Amino acid sequence: MHFKYILNFIGILLFFLGISMAAPLTVSLFYEDGSTKSLLYSMIITSMAGLLLFICTRGDEDTQLNHRDGVAIVTFGWIAAGLFGTLPFLFSGSIPGFTNACFESISGFTTTGASVLTDIESLPEGILLWRSQTQWLGGMGIIVLSIAILPFLGVGGMQLYKAEIPSPVVDKLKPRISDTAKTLWKLYLSITTLEAILLYGGGMPLFESVCHSFCTMPTGGFSSMNTSIAHYNSTYFDTVIIFFMLLAGINFSLHYKLVRGDLTIFGRDPECRIFLLLIGLFTVAVGLNIYGDIYDSIAKALRYAAFQVSSIITTTGFVTADYDKWPSFSKKILLLCMFLGAMAGSTGGGIKIMRIMLLAKHCYQEIFRIIHPHAITSVKLGGRPVPADILNSVWGFFILFLGCFIVASLIMAYMGLDMISAFASVAASIGNIGPGLGLVGPAKNYFAIPLTGKWVLIFCMILGRLEIYTVIVLLMPEYWRK
Amino acid sequence: MKIIIVGAGEVGFHIAERLSVENQDVVLIEKDPEKIRRITENLDVQAILGSGTSPEMLKNSGIKDADMLLAATDSDEVNLIACLLARNLTQNIIKVARVRNPEYLKEKELFSQDLLGVDHIINPESAMVETIQNLMLVPEASDVIDFVDGRVKLIGLTIRPDSPFAGRQLLSFKGEKGKPLVGAILRGEQVFIPRGEDTIQAHDLLYVVAKSDEVGNIFRFFDIKDEVLRRLIIVGAGQIGTALATAMDKTKINVKIIDKDNQKCTDLAQKLKKVTVINGDGTDRDLLQEENISDVDIMVAITGDEESNVLISLLAKRLGAKKTITRINKLSYIPLVSAIGIDTIVSTRLSAIRAFLHYIRRGKIISVAPLKGEHAEAIEAEALATSDIVNVPLSEVKIPTGALIGAIVRGDEIIIPRGQSVVKEKDRLIIFALQKVIPKLEKLLTVKLEYF
Repeated sequence: MHFKYILNFIGILLFFLGISMAAPLTVSLFYEDGSTKSLLYSMIITSMAGLLLFICTRGDEDTQLNHRDGVAIVTFGWIAAGLFGTLPFLFSGSIPGFTNACFESISGFTTTGASVLTDIESLPEGILLWRSQTQWLGGMGIIVLSIAILPFLGVGGMQLYKAEIPSPVVDKLKPRISDTAKTLWKLYLSITTLEAILLYGGGMPLFESVCHSFCTMPTGGFSSMNTSIAHYNSTYFDTVIIFFMLLAGINFSLHYKLVRGDLTIFGRDPECRIFLLLIGLFTVAVGLNIYGDIYDSIAKALRYAAFQVSSIITTTGFVTADYDKWPSFSKKILLLCMFLGAMAGSTGGGIKIMRIMLLAKHCYQEIFRIIHPHAITSVKLGGRPVPADILNSVWGFFILFLGCFIVASLIMAYMGLDMISAFASVAASIGNIGPGLGLVGPAKNYFAIPLTGKWVLIFCMILGRLEIYTVIVLLMPEYWRK
Repeated sequence: MKIIIVGAGEVGFHIAERLSVENQDVVLIEKDPEKIRRITENLDVQAILGSGTSPEMLKNSGIKDADMLLAATDSDEVNLIACLLARNLTQNIIKVARVRNPEYLKEKELFSQDLLGVDHIINPESAMVETIQNLMLVPEASDVIDFVDGRVKLIGLTIRPDSPFAGRQLLSFKGEKGKPLVGAILRGEQVFIPRGEDTIQAHDLLYVVAKSDEVGNIFRFFDIKDEVLRRLIIVGAGQIGTALATAMDKTKINVKIIDKDNQKCTDLAQKLKKVTVINGDGTDRDLLQEENISDVDIMVAITGDEESNVLISLLAKRLGAKKTITRINKLSYIPLVSAIGIDTIVSTRLSAIRAFLHYIRRGKIISVAPLKGEHAEAIEAEALATSDIVNVPLSEVKIPTGALIGAIVRGDEIIIPRGQSVVKEKDRLIIFALQKVIPKLEKLLTVKLEYF
């Protein structure tokens, strides 16, 4: 463990986080919304704290990061970013109480999108932008961003990258890790810009289109409107946002290949095929289920079904309808989507389609072996054999995910939440979705959750975003042993 | 620069490691998943699981925009096919192959551009034979590297604990006649480029620049006896041992070669005229004593088994051999065996890496030699009229810390530089540099406005 180096890195991270507050600061100056001072103070405090930490812990530059350090940097880096991210909320008084501010900030960085706010529209523009910006930074990853900007990481960067990237397998797009990170952020930035242009072109005010794009691409789900995307009630906006939610839910290395000229890659990638197929299937199922009772035309039913399914399965969390009032079958499907999640290597959360596929194939293989006890088999994905250690780690992840889910939902039930709300609030937090069902349904928010419950959910969000292993390993006594 | 390396064995791994530290784009193709994992954990390079002889793999590795292909697997056939495929897939790529089979190497026209498409052949074994011969010419040195076609030599000297130089500051050499220039010091596992105020310590390996005809002076200066090689024992009659014995057969030196394998010995005895071939175990104390090991000037342990080599050398030293040359394969052993008193080490892998690096260096860098301990290089470069280094006193040139100009070669003249020395166009420079400052150094040597 290189504590000095870890703190040093977190110092740099905070410094840049502070600098990034210049964007909401500028916006607040432009709108004269009254949050300028609080943003300025937050910016100064965050960057100064970062700079101080950096200077105090400066030293040996030759330290090579090992895997342990990587895990610590990523987890503590995220926690530090989440804590300093509360400053604008606290100083401007937009969110009362440290717990609530922390909930909002961590929910932002982890791209969960669960909010404690009732009246979002009354907030100053600067604070609204900061809220969206936390999601945008957290989506592709603050650590990946620092790998892209900081030149000195080298191999250490790979350790950090592995600890942050949400995927069981890590593929590098470019020979060097800093180039890989740069490529990812460039892609991310360009898709976000494209979405903002399309939204703005469709008549959404510029500020709102930027905020919504900032929250779509990271599959975040914070909206600057009280009623989320339902506010606009526009087929065009729904379509654009569905399209970009799907893009955000697709592995970014496929986007890279697409940009490089491989136009049929989405159709050929086995995970992507299943992902899109599932969305289609669920949309039709939910559409047929809500047709008649809730919506009187099939087109309308499909439109709302498509938006809600895409939003939940990509773990974005935008809503255009109060699905809590939908029939039980539709709600079950949406709850299932919360667990499935998006593709590995995307900005989405959940268990991830790739893991589900591997688990299913592994189960099939076991059944096959009962029939042919002497058969030699291997689990393949897209024609390539999957090594046993990846399968093992996927199983481990699955068990841990379920374990965390069960423990956390038990605690929530103990707090007095009804069963559906307890389940859904934890599922929506650990899967980084945002709106759940029942008490935390799409038309409500997380304000009513008791204090301890909020901290449990905050922990779940970090667990979910960093894919459990990275966080849980820090809780093991073995990790701290010399 | 983008470089594709086929084969992540020790040679491939070390070249990749060096290049990635220098921020080059490296793609490694390897078919062993375990090795791939080791690489992704340790190096910032792209590792692809697959065979280097698969055109699909080579395409995936982005060969289209690569500048160089290094085929460094243990199999000659794989290396040659990889180069052949590369030639087929793309035009402007430099292809370097490691080829070991002497039968292939004999067929010179086989490697011509239009047949196999290999630009450069690297044969670590023959490079190693050369290194050993070089070392034998200067028996007191631990390492010898040739520059400027052998006119300048870089000599590695080990400082013995009883040497009067142990504990002396480099500054104190000032004014002494024939003072040598110490370009780099290897201490334990650390290499550093010394400054005037640094002190020499016992067991240090000093790298000293010398004109080839003045090597003797250096030894006299350091109070090391200059002896002529008379008796030589080689243990191990493998490919390298055979080549070495064959080369030595023509000289006046008394050479004995020992090998366990009876058949090998018989073959060798039929081939050689003067060399005494002995069938026996090199680790056998009695055998070594029988062959008068105590009077031997140099003992070369080059069997295929590196652990035996180390033991043979230790035994020979204890029995009175003046100098041993030991073949080691694992590069990570080098600092360890230096610590137990085995000072002169040769390695086919080190030779291969030296040879590969030679082709990678850009600009007007003519030759490159990694020093022992791996983290420093000696570079021979031509001073370009356009570079910042020319026509100003050296004291005004911004040479990166961690680099030192060891010698300036102008025509027949060899200048040991001082602050007021001026480098002129077309001079050859010998520069010592730590690995991490090499990119800066390359810039210094190439830039200003040079159009390729």
